[in-house]
Amino acid sequence: MKVSAVRQALLLIALAFMPAIGEAIYFRNRVSWQSAISASELVTVDQARSWGDNVIWVDARPDNEFERDHIPGAILLNEDRWNELLPQFLGQWSPEKQVVVYCSAQSCNASREVAKRLREEAQLKDVFVLGGGWEEWLNNKR
Amino acid sequence: MNTNPLKLIGIVILTALVHSARAELKWEETSVDLRPAIGDKQSVAHFKYENVGKTPVYFKSVHASCGCTAAQTQKEQVAPGEKGEVTATFNIGGRTGTQVKTVTVQTDDPDPSRATTVLTLKAVITPLLEIQPALVFWQNGEEPKPKIITAKANKDAAIKKLEVTSSVPDFTAKVDAGSAPNEFKISVQPRDTTKAVYATLSIKPDSPANAANIFAVAARVMPPAPTAAPASTPAIKSTLSTIRHDLATPAPTAASPSQ
Repeated sequence: MKVSAVRQALLLIALAFMPAIGEAIYFRNRVSWQSAISASELVTVDQARSWGDNVIWVDARPDNEFERDHIPGAILLNEDRWNELLPQFLGQWSPEKQVVVYCSAQSCNASREVAKRLREEAQLKDVFVLGGGWEEWLNNKR
Repeated sequence: MNTNPLKLIGIVILTALVHSARAELKWEETSVDLRPAIGDKQSVAHFKYENVGKTPVYFKSVHASCGCTAAQTQKEQVAPGEKGEVTATFNIGGRTGTQVKTVTVQTDDPDPSRATTVLTLKAVITPLLEIQPALVFWQNGEEPKPKIITAKANKDAAIKKLEVTSSVPDFTAKVDAGSAPNEFKISVQPRDTTKAVYATLSIKPDSPANAANIFAVAARVMPPAPTAAPASTPAIKSTLSTIRHDLATPAPTAASPSQ
């Protein structure tokens, strides 16, 4: 009886795995919704704050959200107007400073994309993504 | 208690069939691949559906994952047997590469697993020009040797020539053919590296004839490196900081002599 119960349990587990395996095969070429980012490229609000004046804040959110409010001194650089905003940002960039990019919240992807493009297209070093984004900044507002 | 495995499989299949019979809004596809043409400003995905149930379906909300995508339904309520579509308009802006955006649709389906559907659009955006690096800079006092920016043109765009102009006369730019087909080398050189200068270099391809296809990169001579100052008062520190900020700020106009 015990053997039978175990067999049935295994059968049920195997059946449960089948759709998952099918989905894994079907979606094998699908890209992730969020760009991959290494832990070393993520910073917390406290870490970024500890850098004091040696930080250039980059706001990757849409224009209207930036206009509503932003981190003091932040520079607007989003992908909606990338060609126009990138040269403006590069005019204010300084090699001695760390660049910290943020978007709306943890779930948004814009800051990762902007940080990636700054590293690849402008070949900048010391570009970080703010974990939790603007939402986290507001939570840590002092 | 000794149940036949075949009976068990039958129960699982029957449960699945009963579950699917309750579903009402049937989507033709929940994932769409888009291939916008070079220079397109927008790309639109159409997600078609049909109400295969016996009762009307009401859309409670349609929400895009990013501000760059606008999603809308044709109607708020879908009668049994009726077909329709949700359109998602993706504003490309300055985006390149593979972009994945989602639209979350919520209906009044009593089954929570069916009430929410995530529609996915994937767009592969090929840029007209791939420019690297987007910034060339010289340290203050560095030898004013030319630095190279590489521009790779999309092979379908038939670009034969690039026109590069500097926003200030402090930099010169020369364009040569690159080592690979459809590649250009832009050689940028400052006249002087003893003063901080910022320039926007506008890159205009000869094809397609569209004024919007102007790309911009930056060239800079950096301000002098800050020296270790003797213990200064906060007022002096503040003044120094203001001066450094002014030097690093782009010239407002091309004619500004101080930049």
